[in-house]
Amino acid sequence: MSRQRSIEVILASEYVSIGELVRITGTRYSTLKFYTEEGMLPFEQAEENLTRRFHREATVKRIQRIKQMKAEGLSIPQMKELLAKER
Amino acid sequence: MNDLTLAQQFSLVGLNGQDSLHGTVVKKAALRCVAAAVVLEAWLEGIFVQEGERFVLDLSKTEAFCEEPYRQLVMKTLLPKGKKAELSWWIRKASGLSKRKLTRLEHAITAPLRKQWLIEDIPGLLGCDLYLHSSGVEIKEYRTDNQTFTRITESVRAEVLEEGSITDETICMLWLLRESGCMHDLFSQNEMQTIAEKMGNLYRSHPLARQLYRLQIRRGFELAYKQFLKFKRRAVQTVTGSGINFLFPALERSQSVFIEMEAWFSNPERRLKDIKNRLESQGHEFTVLREGQIPLIKIDNVVYEAIPHAIYGRVPIHGVRLLPRRPF
Repeated sequence: MSRQRSIEVILASEYVSIGELVRITGTRYSTLKFYTEEGMLPFEQAEENLTRRFHREATVKRIQRIKQMKAEGLSIPQMKELLAKER
Repeated sequence: MNDLTLAQQFSLVGLNGQDSLHGTVVKKAALRCVAAAVVLEAWLEGIFVQEGERFVLDLSKTEAFCEEPYRQLVMKTLLPKGKKAELSWWIRKASGLSKRKLTRLEHAITAPLRKQWLIEDIPGLLGCDLYLHSSGVEIKEYRTDNQTFTRITESVRAEVLEEGSITDETICMLWLLRESGCMHDLFSQNEMQTIAEKMGNLYRSHPLARQLYRLQIRRGFELAYKQFLKFKRRAVQTVTGSGINFLFPALERSQSVFIEMEAWFSNPERRLKDIKNRLESQGHEFTVLREGQIPLIKIDNVVYEAIPHAIYGRVPIHGVRLLPRRPF
């Protein structure tokens, strides 16, 4: 058990948790969970530790890209297709 | 984006949608939790030190901690008697502050948040109701900045509902949400089961949770009032929703808001337009989440179902009843 990391520390670290992603992007947890389960947000998961770790810079960029595509009116399958092409 | 303290984060969640002019039962419960949150903040910042199984105040660090007015108000009030007391004593005493002190605490905690535009006073949604709107009664309520509200509540949800360790702030936040009665606003019934399990595990394994989760700061009278409201809600259940509102709207005015329409038998689009006009004229933020016969509308930070309804007085009045839909 530990204290929550401050925003400065989160913004300086390489990997973040899903809760920290919520704090820095202001996106809802259920939305991020859905994107993760759809394979739109890649993550790393150590075998023993069940916490999912996201690469901060790449994931934040990916979330912004998804939001942009959502604003353009694309559906989830279309977004997934585009993201796969861009990868 | 700033880091907010535990008491600030909790007050943004607990005071959202509460009457800002009068001391309602719900607001008093939230303010008592804000006072307890100040003590927990002190624990998080190392003002309490562990002595065996007990946490006792470290007097050498209190001066630096009490720089903020809201912290000073709570800690300095209790300090004369609490020098040797443990954490649970401080929480009990803080949550039992007098009505006058709680009002001062409310001003002390909201003033800096107002300056940062994180909380504001808006005309109360209940003021949009036909009767109150036409009689010119002024009702004001707090509204938390939408983005900040989402950040706080969703990061708590993420941490609790996701696998992995839970931070000390979230352990405290869960207890504060439980004691202030906000839990049902943020979590669904299924999620509540997960949370109950997690809180049980924390109680067994974490020293702070063991101290904290056995404390209850709810008052007997308020508990009875809450039970009565729960009974009322269960009393009537219909296909379209639950609540006694459907039978006796006058009894349950705090739960639903009636907005009359300009035309009889108006269609869903015109109904939505009329609601939009009324809410925007009162300064509310209005987002349509789902259109249709029963639209889903997000007003400020709460989601409502707009159910077509009519009031039968001397003349029937057609309109829409806004029912809170929780959790969203």
